[in-house]
Amino acid sequence: MIHVAGLTKFYGPIAALSDASFDVGQGEIIGFLGPNGAGKSTAMRILTGFASATRGTARVAGFEVHSNPLEVKRRVGYLPERVPLYEEMTVKGFLRYVTEVKGVPRMGRTAEVGRVMERCGLGEIGGRLIRNVSKGFRQRVGLAQALVGNPPVLILDEPTVGLDPRQIVDIRQMIKDLGKEHTVLLSTHILPEVAVVCERVIIINQGRIVTQDRLENLAGPGASRTLEDAFIQAISAERREEG
Amino acid sequence: MRNTWAVCKREFKSYFLTPVGYVLVGMVSAITGMAFTLSFLTFAKITQSPGQYSYATVPDFEETFLSPFLVFCGILVMFLSPLITMRSIAEEKHRGTIELLLTYPLRDREIIFGKYLAAMGMVLVMLLPMAVDVSIMSYFVNVETPVLVFGVVTVFLMSAAFISLGLFVSSLTHNQITSAVLCFGIVLMLYVIGNMGGDLPKQAPIPESWPAAAASVAAPAYVLARAVLVEMSLDAHAKEMAQGLFQPKDVAYYVLLSAFFLFLTFRSLESRNWRR
Ligand SMILES: Nc1ncnc2c1ncn2[C@@H]1O[C@H](COP(=O)(O)OP(=O)(O)OP(=O)(O)O)[C@@H](O)[C@H]1O
Ligand SMILES: [Mg+2]
Repeated sequence: MIHVAGLTKFYGPIAALSDASFDVGQGEIIGFLGPNGAGKSTAMRILTGFASATRGTARVAGFEVHSNPLEVKRRVGYLPERVPLYEEMTVKGFLRYVTEVKGVPRMGRTAEVGRVMERCGLGEIGGRLIRNVSKGFRQRVGLAQALVGNPPVLILDEPTVGLDPRQIVDIRQMIKDLGKEHTVLLSTHILPEVAVVCERVIIINQGRIVTQDRLENLAGPGASRTLEDAFIQAISAERREEG
Repeated sequence: MRNTWAVCKREFKSYFLTPVGYVLVGMVSAITGMAFTLSFLTFAKITQSPGQYSYATVPDFEETFLSPFLVFCGILVMFLSPLITMRSIAEEKHRGTIELLLTYPLRDREIIFGKYLAAMGMVLVMLLPMAVDVSIMSYFVNVETPVLVFGVVTVFLMSAAFISLGLFVSSLTHNQITSAVLCFGIVLMLYVIGNMGGDLPKQAPIPESWPAAAASVAAPAYVLARAVLVEMSLDAHAKEMAQGLFQPKDVAYYVLLSAFFLFLTFRSLESRNWRR
């Protein structure tokens, strides 16, 4: 579903991504891990067509992001890291707007807004101004706008950051359910979350993909180490190589 | 088309979900209202005793009152347009919502025209009170229709040009204040440059000592530069048009100005896709 080959992105002299390649199959939930500044958000921004790569290709559902951005955008729901929202709009008004720009047919818009609000547990706050909702609900609104139009691919940049423990459990469950119908690429720093939600893990460090493997091969009951060990090992191996 | 409309609707609504819209509309209706009343009263006094105001006879209504008033409205829009467009793109960048906007399945032109139309809608709403003033007046006074229609078209064309300039400037920055100040500066510069051009001598002031070859190049260049400066004047074209004189170059001036800055806006938005 997602195919990334040789992706490189320079910000001036800084290489945020260097020659990153990975694949995500249809219906997979992928955990995208890496230390701060590793290039996770950069990769996601390129995949969603927000930023351009310096070199390399990224395909979503067979469409190249750079040459066919519109087709890619029709198939991707994206939750950006900072969860930017139109503060002056109501939750419902905003989601209504998203159904319009995502091309949901006029007759189905109300139903679609209802569906994503229900799915993300926004039932009671539909009439509130986005400016006034709490962090957890902002995150849900962000998730809801990604779900509008039921895109086959979801790209979620740290969806559970800043939530209380109960909300984290809720959102994880939600993502797990979403994984039944969608291909999900999920970045996070919370390793237990990965263990609960994801099937496969991609670890990125300093712009390079250092590991991509199924969860049970990296850690778990059968393996001799935990996911933390695997993560630390993956990113320190890279450091040694450089030093 | 549908997408353009969706972008435009959201954009237009948010002028009125924040105080900006109300402040602008309130300010403009107050200013145009006062200007209208004052200049109308002055005109009334002139008609009572033209001699006192050094007119031989009662002066032409359109020429002394209507066109100057319409041009004044155009200039008002010119000074307020930076406030309308400062947020258009800069605010999306500042809040990060540009990341949503640019990852929704929208074409650049749908985004740009959507925002452009919303800002033009804002201009329309701002000028509504002026339209009310003028239509009440035309009920009592027999106005030459071409002057009225052409005057209103002028105001509208002028606004279109300022809005596209503002949109472009707004696409350059993350900061609304920078956007407004820069736009204001450019508008003012275009305004001043035109008047300056008019004050330059018609003939090139080339010293006698210059060799003939240099002078023969410099003289036409000077004439051309002066003509360009004169034609760049933001209000000179408006003044001609508001008199009811149809001159293609006046219309072309505003249309080209709009097109030019819209083109730059496209480039500016597109630059994110350049492979760097
Ligand atoms: N707009 C930008 N301009 C310059 N450098 C940038 C920009 N965006 C990201 N970078 C740099 O690119 C690198 C990768 O950043 P990125 O945001 O992708 O990391 P990340 O893996 O998402 O980190 P985090 O876990 O902290 O979110 C960092 O070194 C960052 O400083
Ligand atoms: Mg990040």
